[in-house]
Amino acid sequence: MSKMKSVKIDRRSFLKMLGWGGAGTALAGCDLPTTVTLEEGKEEVVSYLMPEEYVIPGIGVWYASTCLQCDAGCGLHGRVREGRVLKLEGNPDSPINHGKTCMMGQAGVQAHYNPDRVTSPMLRKNGTLQAVSWDEALSELNGRLGAVSGDRFAMVTGTVSGHQAVLVSALMEQMGSSNHFAHETINARVWRQVCEDMLGDPMPRLRLDKAQVILSFGADFLGTWLSPVHMATEYAKFRSAPRGMLVQIEPKMTLTGGNADLWLPARPGTEGALALGIANFVIERGWNKVNVTPNVRRALAEYDLPKVEEITGIPVSKIKRIASLLSERSPALVLAGASAAGFEDGYESVAAAMLLNIIVGAVGETIEASAQFPEAALLARQGSTADLIKFAKGLENKAFDVVLFANTNPVYTAPEALGLEKGLAEVGFKVAMTQFPDETAMLADLVLPLASPLEDWGTHVAAYQAGGDPVISVQQPLMEPIHKDVRGFGDVMLGLLKARNKEFEQFADYYAYLKTAMLNMPGLADKDNKNDAAWNNLLQKGLLSAKPAKGKLSIKAHTVEVAGYQHSKEYPLHLVPSARLGLWDGRHANIPWLQEAPDQIAKVVWDSWAELHPKTAHELGVKNGDIIRVSSASGSIETQVYIHKGVHPDVVAVPMGQGHTAYGRYAKNRGANPLKVLNPITDKKTGELATHATRVKVSKVPRKNILVKMGGSETQMGRPLVRTVSADQFRRTEGEG
Amino acid sequence: MAQVIQDKIIDENLKWSQINQDVIRSMQAPGKAYWITFAVCVAMFLTAVAAEIYQYKVGMGAAGLNNPHMWDMYIATFVFWIGMSHAGTLLSAILHIIHAQWRKPIYRFAEAMTTFSLMTAGFFPMIHLGRVWNLYWVLPYVSDRGIWPNFRSPLVWDAFAISTYLSASALFLVIGMIPDLAILRDHTKGWRKKFYGILALGWRGDDRQWRNFRKTYMLMACFLIPLAISVHSIVSSDFAMSIMPGWHVTTFPPYFVAGALYSGCAAIMTLFICLRYFFHMEEYMTKNIMEKTTKLTFAIAMVWTYLNLIEFASTWYGHNIYDKEVLISKATGPYAVVFWTMIICGSVVPFTLCFQKLRRHMPTMFVVSLLLQLGMYVERWMIVAPTLSQAHQPHQWDVLWAPVVQWAIVFGSFGWFALLFLVFVKLFPSVSMYEVKELTFHLQHEAEEEKWLADQEKHATPEGAREKPVTGRPGLEGA
Amino acid sequence: MSFKNILENFSKYRRGAEEGGHHEYEHRWGMAIDLNLCIGCNACSTACYAENNLAVVGKDKFEKGQAMHWMRIERYWDDADAGRDFPEQGALFLPMLCQQCGAATCEPVCPVAATYHTPDGLNAQVYNRCIGSRYCNNNCPFRVRYFNFWSYYESSWPEPLNMQLNPDLSVRDKGVMEKCTFCVQRIRTAKDKAQRENRAIVDGEFQTACAQACPTGAIVFGDTMDPNSRVTKLWQEHEVERGPYTSKKPKQNAELRGYRIFEELNVDPSIMYLERVRETEV
Repeated sequence: MSKMKSVKIDRRSFLKMLGWGGAGTALAGCDLPTTVTLEEGKEEVVSYLMPEEYVIPGIGVWYASTCLQCDAGCGLHGRVREGRVLKLEGNPDSPINHGKTCMMGQAGVQAHYNPDRVTSPMLRKNGTLQAVSWDEALSELNGRLGAVSGDRFAMVTGTVSGHQAVLVSALMEQMGSSNHFAHETINARVWRQVCEDMLGDPMPRLRLDKAQVILSFGADFLGTWLSPVHMATEYAKFRSAPRGMLVQIEPKMTLTGGNADLWLPARPGTEGALALGIANFVIERGWNKVNVTPNVRRALAEYDLPKVEEITGIPVSKIKRIASLLSERSPALVLAGASAAGFEDGYESVAAAMLLNIIVGAVGETIEASAQFPEAALLARQGSTADLIKFAKGLENKAFDVVLFANTNPVYTAPEALGLEKGLAEVGFKVAMTQFPDETAMLADLVLPLASPLEDWGTHVAAYQAGGDPVISVQQPLMEPIHKDVRGFGDVMLGLLKARNKEFEQFADYYAYLKTAMLNMPGLADKDNKNDAAWNNLLQKGLLSAKPAKGKLSIKAHTVEVAGYQHSKEYPLHLVPSARLGLWDGRHANIPWLQEAPDQIAKVVWDSWAELHPKTAHELGVKNGDIIRVSSASGSIETQVYIHKGVHPDVVAVPMGQGHTAYGRYAKNRGANPLKVLNPITDKKTGELATHATRVKVSKVPRKNILVKMGGSETQMGRPLVRTVSADQFRRTEGEG
Repeated sequence: MAQVIQDKIIDENLKWSQINQDVIRSMQAPGKAYWITFAVCVAMFLTAVAAEIYQYKVGMGAAGLNNPHMWDMYIATFVFWIGMSHAGTLLSAILHIIHAQWRKPIYRFAEAMTTFSLMTAGFFPMIHLGRVWNLYWVLPYVSDRGIWPNFRSPLVWDAFAISTYLSASALFLVIGMIPDLAILRDHTKGWRKKFYGILALGWRGDDRQWRNFRKTYMLMACFLIPLAISVHSIVSSDFAMSIMPGWHVTTFPPYFVAGALYSGCAAIMTLFICLRYFFHMEEYMTKNIMEKTTKLTFAIAMVWTYLNLIEFASTWYGHNIYDKEVLISKATGPYAVVFWTMIICGSVVPFTLCFQKLRRHMPTMFVVSLLLQLGMYVERWMIVAPTLSQAHQPHQWDVLWAPVVQWAIVFGSFGWFALLFLVFVKLFPSVSMYEVKELTFHLQHEAEEEKWLADQEKHATPEGAREKPVTGRPGLEGA
Repeated sequence: MSFKNILENFSKYRRGAEEGGHHEYEHRWGMAIDLNLCIGCNACSTACYAENNLAVVGKDKFEKGQAMHWMRIERYWDDADAGRDFPEQGALFLPMLCQQCGAATCEPVCPVAATYHTPDGLNAQVYNRCIGSRYCNNNCPFRVRYFNFWSYYESSWPEPLNMQLNPDLSVRDKGVMEKCTFCVQRIRTAKDKAQRENRAIVDGEFQTACAQACPTGAIVFGDTMDPNSRVTKLWQEHEVERGPYTSKKPKQNAELRGYRIFEELNVDPSIMYLERVRETEV
C-alpha cells in the first residue's frame, strides 16, 4: 500500500491504463465484502485517503486480460481492489481455457509483485551495471542502433504474437536485419514440422474429447505440451463416460504419465521404432483404417515385434495389447512430445507416431484441421531451440554487433556447449529488455526494465487455437505499474521505431497504436462504430474471434527411418531434462508459490533432483538424498538423488527450472540446470536441439542432502483413501455416455 | 548410631528432643555442596528460561514441532510431572487413612514433592501454547462478551483439575506442617521465628487444636484421594477422548493413575536416598522404611505392567488396523529403542526389588529408582509421539526427534523442581517431627505390649492378666 | 451464551453433536471431488495460496513439515507397484483439504472454542480466539489443520509481494491454527450480495478458489442443502448421504463411486470423493 501511495497517479493516464472508458469495462460486477454496508441510496464507506472516483474501497472489480506465464494464451480475469490486482482466474469466454487456469497462471501475480524486479534502466559503466534514466538509456541504445547496419543487428525473443510480433517485424525491417530469433526451450517445433509435412497443417486441432484411446509418446499434454490448460479441459471430457483410455510411453513419468492407465518406459529414443512396430502389427492384423503405399508397407514390415521388443525393451505382449487397443477403441489419437522428439532422429520418431495416426484413421476423426487466425502478421512467431542454435552459430561467427534480448533468457537455457556466454562477450552491445535480473541481463550492457504482463498492453494469438473461431486475446493492464521506472514492451519498441521512422509518430504510445489497430481489425463486432463502445466491449470480453482461415488436412504418408538403439559404455545413461508444469523452463523459478508447490510426481520442493530407477540406484549404491555428479561430454552437474520407479533404468531425469546463477532471491543458487550439460546434438530435419539425446555417466559424490519433499508415506498403507474402481464398473454405473 | 533394627520401622528409643535437634540440624545454614547444587539448578532453570524466551519470540517452530507432531516432549513432560505428584498423595493421604505407620518419617518430603511437581507441571501447558498470553481464556471468567471456554474439551478439564489439585495439595502440605512449624517457632530466632510464627497460626498444642487438626487433616486426606485419581484420569482423557489410534484407549485412566503412582514412588525412593545421605537421616529414613517403599513400588510396577499388557492385548485382538499399526510401529519402528527402554525399565528392572539384599542396598536402589523414572518418562513420550507419527493419514507420517530447545526446557524443569526442593529442605522440616514422635511413642507402646504379652505367656497365671500399660497421647512434650 | 443457556440446552447440544451436527443449518457447503478427473496438477493448491494469503515457508521449514498448504495434492503409489518394475498404472492423486466434517473431531477438543460449527455447516476457525494448544489438529484424522509455527509475514511477503495479500481475510501470525475455510470470504460476499438483492444464493454463483481453478473441473462446490445444486445432485446420484456412519443404510447400488474418506470414524465429512477409475484390461 505504501508503494501505491507514493506513486502519484495521473488520473488520465490511470484511466487509460485501466482501459477505463465508462462502466463497461468492469466485468462481472462488484463483490461487496461485509466491511462495507450499502443501503438504498446511502453509502457508508471506510475512510480512504482521497480515493480516485473509480476506486471504491472494499470492492473488487474484475478485468479481462491474457496470461503470459507460458505461450498457450489463456484468457484471464483479474480481480482488482483498491488499485491492486489480487487474484487471477480464467476467462470463461476464452475457448482456450474455459475459465480455468494452471498453477503458473495462478502465480502470475507473484511474478508481477516479485520483490526482485528490475526497477530502473541500467547501463554498464566501467564493467558494472549502473542505474540510469530512460533518456540516457534510450539515447545510448538509439546511438548504438544507428551505428549498426543490417544483419549485424540481431533480436532474440521468446514466442511473440499479436501486435508485439508486428512491432518486432517492423523493427527488424527498419534495421534491415533478418536476424530475429525466437527461442523457447519447451516447444513443439518437431511436432509442428511433422504435422506440416504429413498433414499439411502445422497445428492441427487435437480432439482429445472425441478420442477413445490416446497413445502418447512422451507428450505431456496435461503439463507442458502445446496448451496444457486447454488439454486438461479436453482431458476431462475424454475421461468422462464413455471413458477413454490413456497409454503413455516415456522414459520418465510426467504429469500425464502419472494419469495414464498404462505407463511404459521404452528405451530412450526408441519411441519411433515402437510406433512403427505397432503400425506394422496393426496392418498385419488388417486393423488399419487407411491403406498405406507399398513403399511404406515394405518399410514397416521390417519392424516385426520381436525385433521391436529387442530395440525398445517393451515386451511383445504389451505391444500387441496397445495395437489392439488402438483398433478396438476407435477413434484413437497418437501424440508425440518431447521425449520422442528430443533425438537426432526425433523428427522420424514423431513422423512414425503420425504414421500410426494415419493408419488407425485418426486423421479426420481426432485430428482436425486447425482454424487459424486470418491475419498472418499477428500469428505467433513460435520459439524453438533451432533459433537458439542459429543465434549461437551467428555469435560464433561474430556476426552481430548489437543484440537485443526481450523477455527471454538464453544464457540460462542454452547448453554450455553452444558457447553462448563466450560468444556474447564478443558482441559490442547487448541489450536485455526484461522484468527480472536474469542471467542474460547480468551479461548485458544495457538493461531495460519492462512492465509486467499485468501492467502492460498487448494482444496475443495462441499458436494452438482451441477450436471454434480463432481468437486474438487482449492483454490489458490490471493496475498502475508498481515501479515507476518500467515501460511496456510495446512502448519501448514503438519508441525505437519512432526514432527510425516518422510514420510511427502518429501513435502517442503503444496503447494508442493498439487501439487503432484493433478497431481496424476485420471481425470486430461493429465495424462502423469504431468508437470507445466497441473498444470497451472488446476489453470487457478480453478477446475477439475472427472468421477462421480454415485449413484442410491432406495426408502425405511417407516412409520413416528411425535409428536403432546404441549402447554406450562410457556414458551408459540418458539424461532427461524433464519439463515441469510449475517452473517451466526456469522462468518461474523466482516465484515462491511455484518453488513451494511440490513437483506433481516427485513431490520435491525448492530444489533439483535426479530421478533414478531403484535398479540403477542400487547399481550405483546411492540412496535418496545422496549427491551425484551427472557428467556428459559437455560438462557436469551435481544434484541429489530421488529414487522412484517412474523412470527407465537407463535414464537419469533431472527437471529443468533450477540452477539459476542470478534471477533473484528465490531462484539464485538453488539446484542444478540440466540444460547446461546437454551435448549440442540436433534433430537432423528441423535443427532442433535434441534435448533427450545426451548420454551421461553418474558418479557418487561423498556428500548428502536431506531430500525435502512433501508426504510421509509413498503408499496408502492399505487405507482406502484413494479408492479405485474398474473401468467396467464405471461403464455399468455411469454408462457409455 | 546407624544400627540396623531388623523389624522395627525406626528406633523407638529415639529421644523426642533428639528428633527435634536432628530435624532442625538439617535446616541449618547450608554448606558448600548445597550451594553448588543450588547453582547448578539455577543454571539449569535459566537455560530453560532462555530457551522459552527464544521460543516465545520466534514461535513454536523453535521447538521443532510440525504438522503431524503438534505435541511432543512438552506434553510428555507435563504428564510426567503430574504423575510424579501422585506419590505424595499416596503416602500422606492414602497410607494415612489406612494407618500405615511407616509413612510417617517420609511423607513430608513426598508431599512437598507433590506440590513442587505440580508447580513444575503447570508450566508446561503454558510453554506449549502457541499464544501463551491468552492462557486465561481457558478459564471460565465472567466476560461481557459472554464467551466461555469449551467445556467439552479435556484441556479445560485439565485446567480445573490441576489448579484444584495444586491448591488442595499445597493446603494439605501446609496444614500438615502446623505442629512442626510451632516447634520451629519455638526453637529459632530472628526472621525465622517471625516467619514460622506467622505460619504456625498460633499453634499451642492444646487438646482442642489437636482435635481440630486431626479432623481437618483427615478430611483433607479424604478429599485429596479422589482428587488425585481424578486428576490423572483427566490428564489421560487428553488422549483417551481423542480418536487417534493409540490414544483412544479405554484403560487409559487407570493406566495413567498406576503410572503416576509408579513414577511417584520411584521419585520418593530417589529423594529418600538423597535426603538420607546428605542430611544423615539414617535414623529416620531407615532401610526398613525403604524396604516398605520398594515393596509398594514393586506392587504398583506390576499393576502398571498388567495394564500395559491389557492395552497391548486389546489392541492386538481388536480389529482396528490403525491402532494395531501404531502398536507394531512402536515396537519395531523408528521409536523401538525408546519403546524397549520403557518396557525394560518399567517392567523388568522392578524385579530387582524382589531381593531383600538389593532392597537394602542404597546405591543399587538409587540407580534402580532412576531407571524406573527414566522408564516412566519415556512411557509418557511413547504415548504422545508415536501416535502422532503414524496416525490415520499416511501422507502425514513423519518421525520427529525433538531439537535442543525442547530438551533445554525439559532439562530446565528438573532444575526448577530441584530448586524448589532445595529451598524447601532449608526452610521447612523435611521430616515430620510430630509424627515421628507419635511413631516412637506407638512403637514404645507396642514394645511394651509385646513384652507384657511375652511375660503373660511365660508366667501364664490363670488369675488373668496384669494391668496393661497405659497408653498416653503424644503431645508436644519435647517442644 | 449464559450459564442458564448451558444448563437448559446442554443435552440438546450434546446429543446434537452425536447426531452429526447441532445446528439448524442455513446452508451446508459441500464438495464432490472426482478422482477420475483429478490430474494432480496443483492448480487448486496454488489458487488457494493466492486466495487465502497462505505463507510460503521456504525449504528449511518445508523439510521440518511446517508447510501451510491448506489444499495439498497427495500422491500415492499403488501397493501393487512393489511387485512391478514400473508403476504401470500411474500414480494416485488425492486433493486433501479440510473436510468440514459435520461431526468434526477438532471442535470438541478446542479448549477455547476457537473452532466451532457455523450455521453454514463449516468448521470455522476463529484466529483471534485461538490460543494455539494444537489439540484440534492432533484430533483430526485428515491432518489438514496447519499451525503457524513461526511468524511468516516478513519472510513470506517481502515488499511488494505483500500488495497481493487478499484484504478479505487476515494474515495469521505465529501461534495460531489455520485451515481451509471453503473460501468463507467468498461465501460471505455471495451471501451479502444475495441478501442485498433479496434472493437466495444461486448455485454456481461463486466457487471456492480451488474449484474455480481446477482445469478438469474435478472439484464441484455447492450447497448440499439446495436440492437443485450440482453438488447435491452428485451426492444423490452416488447415493452418499450426510449423517453419521452408524445410521447408514447400505447403498442400493454398491457399485456407485461416491465415498467419504474415514467415514467409519463417524466424522460426517462434507466432501464426497468419487473413486478413481482404473482400466483392468491393460
